Amino acid sequence: MRQLRSIVIFLVLPLIVTTYSFGVERFPPPDFESGYEMPVTTVPSPRQNFYEYIDLGVLIAAIGVASYLALRRRSRRGLFVLTVFSLLYFGFWRKGCICPIGAIQNITMSIFDSSYAAPLFVLGFFLVPLISTLFFGRTFCAAVCPLGAVQDLVLVRPVSVPQWLERSLRFLAYVYLGAAVLFAATGSAFIICRYDPFVSIFRLSGNFYILVLAGCFLLAGMFIGRPYCRFLCPYGVILRQLSRISRFRVSITPDECIHCRLCEDACPFGAIKKPMVEWPAESYSKNKRLLGILIVALPVFVLAGGWLGGSVKHIAAKMHWRVRLAERIYLEDMDQVEGTTDASDAFRATGEDVNELYSEASAIRQKLGVGGWIVGGFLGFVTGLKLVGLSIRKNREDYEADAGQCLSCGRCFSYCPREHARLERIRQKSSK
Amino acid sequence: MMNNERGDNSKSSKFMDILYLAAVQTAVVSGVLSLITVGLLLLNFYKGTIVEPRLEEQWEQLKTEVRNNPNDEELLSRVRELDLVMRTNRVRQDDFSRRGGYLLLGGLTVFLVSLKGSVQLRKKLPRPEKQGDIRGLQVREMVWGRRASTVVLTVLGSWLLIVAFLPALDFSRAVSVVASYPSMDEIAQNWPRFRGLEGAGISAYNNVPTEWDGKTGKNILWKSRVPLPGHSSPVVWGDRVFVSGADKKSRQIFCFDALSGTLLWDGSLVNPGAFSGEPLELDEGTAGYAAPTPVTDGRRVCAIFPTGDIGCFNFDGRLLWSRNLGLPDSIYGYASSLEMYQDMILIQYDQGYAEDEKSAVLALDFQTGRTIWETKRPVSGSWTSPIVVQIDSEFQYITCSNPFVIGYDPKSGQEIWRVECLGPDVAPSAIYANGLVFAIEPYVAVYAIRPQIRGDSQQAEVVWIGEDGIPDITSPVSNGQLLFLLTTYGMLTCYDITDEVSDKDRIDNQQRIRPKLWEQELDTEFNASASLVGDKLYLLSTKGVMIIAQAGRSYKEIVRCELGEECYASPAFADGRIYIRVVENLYCIGNKD
Repeated sequence: MRQLRSIVIFLVLPLIVTTYSFGVERFPPPDFESGYEMPVTTVPSPRQNFYEYIDLGVLIAAIGVASYLALRRRSRRGLFVLTVFSLLYFGFWRKGCICPIGAIQNITMSIFDSSYAAPLFVLGFFLVPLISTLFFGRTFCAAVCPLGAVQDLVLVRPVSVPQWLERSLRFLAYVYLGAAVLFAATGSAFIICRYDPFVSIFRLSGNFYILVLAGCFLLAGMFIGRPYCRFLCPYGVILRQLSRISRFRVSITPDECIHCRLCEDACPFGAIKKPMVEWPAESYSKNKRLLGILIVALPVFVLAGGWLGGSVKHIAAKMHWRVRLAERIYLEDMDQVEGTTDASDAFRATGEDVNELYSEASAIRQKLGVGGWIVGGFLGFVTGLKLVGLSIRKNREDYEADAGQCLSCGRCFSYCPREHARLERIRQKSSK
Repeated sequence: MMNNERGDNSKSSKFMDILYLAAVQTAVVSGVLSLITVGLLLLNFYKGTIVEPRLEEQWEQLKTEVRNNPNDEELLSRVRELDLVMRTNRVRQDDFSRRGGYLLLGGLTVFLVSLKGSVQLRKKLPRPEKQGDIRGLQVREMVWGRRASTVVLTVLGSWLLIVAFLPALDFSRAVSVVASYPSMDEIAQNWPRFRGLEGAGISAYNNVPTEWDGKTGKNILWKSRVPLPGHSSPVVWGDRVFVSGADKKSRQIFCFDALSGTLLWDGSLVNPGAFSGEPLELDEGTAGYAAPTPVTDGRRVCAIFPTGDIGCFNFDGRLLWSRNLGLPDSIYGYASSLEMYQDMILIQYDQGYAEDEKSAVLALDFQTGRTIWETKRPVSGSWTSPIVVQIDSEFQYITCSNPFVIGYDPKSGQEIWRVECLGPDVAPSAIYANGLVFAIEPYVAVYAIRPQIRGDSQQAEVVWIGEDGIPDITSPVSNGQLLFLLTTYGMLTCYDITDEVSDKDRIDNQQRIRPKLWEQELDTEFNASASLVGDKLYLLSTKGVMIIAQAGRSYKEIVRCELGEECYASPAFADGRIYIRVVENLYCIGNKD
């Protein structure tokens, strides 16, 4: 097995280097007078929205099929086939864009920037998985999301992540969501797209560091089930909350749990929860006290988070290209850097007033300061709630798929003896 | 029956073993193939990121050499060869990467499928271990969960805290730093604008050579090719010499090393701002694509072109800013040189007819290009250059255009005085000498104007008029006692400007005509304005002959020095040196001893 892992490591790491080669810039035109005539620049006709609406149709159909396969047919094989299809269609064919995860930014920006309107199909991509989750749980994650699909397919030897680690790492997804919303609302950057580790694989092209990141995720994904989905996906944060209140949801057993414990380690994503037992009396009183303290401290978490979020505005502002440009121009003018960049050269060639650029950059910093307070406050609130949640004992009598965490992949079905009995009954019924 | 079942199970087990072996072997083979592919791709990557940039560096070096030796065919051929090698390599590498990428993707897919298959074939059934202390385990999980969350939050919070206290760039500091500008002494020691300090055409140094010969190379310290043509004159600051050049497509400023003549850098202005229309077409007889002379404050150099493009570079050749002021409506092409006052660039942007209301004077921030003030003026297009002169204790910004000579406050652009005396197509610039402003109406007259000082009740007025030897292009020069005018066709005329015009003369002679002191036919043509070095006049003809004559009450020629190349720009004077721009070259003349 160790040998096998070594082979895997040696093969996946260089993948990064391979895909980088696709991202290299085309060479510049000749730089001396050779008689070469530059071709006239042609402007392509506007892109048709046709494909996007087809994509939306495929998305709706795929979610429908996934929900049917997960809830009605309880077919892991069917979901696997759909996963492969989604990876090929939404991933390699449509190059991973647009996806509901990235659509968060379009929707946010259209709310905060009156000059930007998100196209209808983008709204559709954003809403359809949310609505379906409200009814059927996270069937979108199960077999439709191309990011989930690629991670699902590279999973070879799952290793279980301790619950305490899982819970704390999951907080990162909230931070990512907060940052994505903040940067999109201020027009700074679409960080979900910029740092999407998998799109560069779908496109066989991308920034070197992103490819390194993608390689790391794939490598980790061979042993840790869907690391991006569980610990980083900002869309997953929203889906998790909606799934908790969904009308229908995947269950491990088709009827009743017999506490056989066979499914205990079936889920590679740590979404199977064990039955809870009564706590010792001293633990109850300790947790009660802690709970009281945490509830009282909740506003402190909000204020501390807000202050921290607002204080990093000058660093956060670097995500905005105008701020980066202003800082570069400033450093050049103050002789604190040598040479120029293409961006600074281009700016100076536009004839724009540098003072206006500085003013604009300062205004963006201010905006991010206010936004940082709000996002930081939100994260402080989430932190407080998470700690509160960890001090409350939940009643659970059976082995259950966690309402929020379960990705509806159906891996646990075959572990349940009741499922086998159900399938046997179906077989007998159909043979009659 | 039992034996048959055992036989079937054994067959099935064997088949599974074969399948497992096949899957493992496939995984190994595809893995090895993928590794080889990766190795080759890495090599290709190394070539693309390590080897190619070195070639590019060589290529850049060769390009710099070509700039200084444009006619070196061998050098050009090496540049072309290297360029071809680089392009061929790039295409080959791109192609290799693309194919290798697909191959690797396929290999890894086979590897993953076979690997997953082999794992699946050896999958064990779940066997739950005996449960221990569940209650304790669940409580511990809660506690560990809280601790882990606290650690994550502490790490995140600490990182944010550190980031929060990182120093941020304060944009407001940029303004205070760039506000520096040269002192009057610094300006006087250099030749920062067209015709030097105050546009007077007077050298601050008397030790400039009086003998040279372009043919023999006598006292020619260096000669460098200027890559683009232009009628603009050189400006000098310390060890840097700047000239501008342009054609229909390009607008550039060139920086030469004053000691060696090496072209240190060239800076281009490429369609800044609004100008994106058709290329400007200027005919043969016009001022050309680079008539205005640049200006430098010792920190930056700024040039303007007939397209309305204006840009500023620092002394390292970095473009600080560029703008387009709008294509000027000028029939001979815009030609007014730039002037400066403190940290401002002053522009005389005259165009069209007075009734068009297009003309204006502007002041731009030298560092940023931001308009500090702009004053509209009721004049038509002109080809004169403005001057900033000190009159008593205040500075005035004086411009000439049809029909007014106007004095402005250079700080605010506010008009102080104006005198109506000029006609159309004004090209010679004004000078200030002996308390008078001398403005020229081409072919018609030279006007000696007493300017008005702000707050003074005495209005600006024309004190006297000279009607002999009036130039059409060149600007006058004066030593404070005598005024020298030089016409294009070679007539040098001198006026005495010292004696005052009495009130009686004013009454007796309403025209206030002043006779010339002397005139001399020089038998050659001039486009360059006359200059004064000590008590000597330096008159540079279009044929590249410098006539050096005594600046006295009678004409006395001292010597004629030939460069042997056509010349239309005015010379620049520095300590022991003269810089002359001819049609294709820039000369530095100095005593070789």
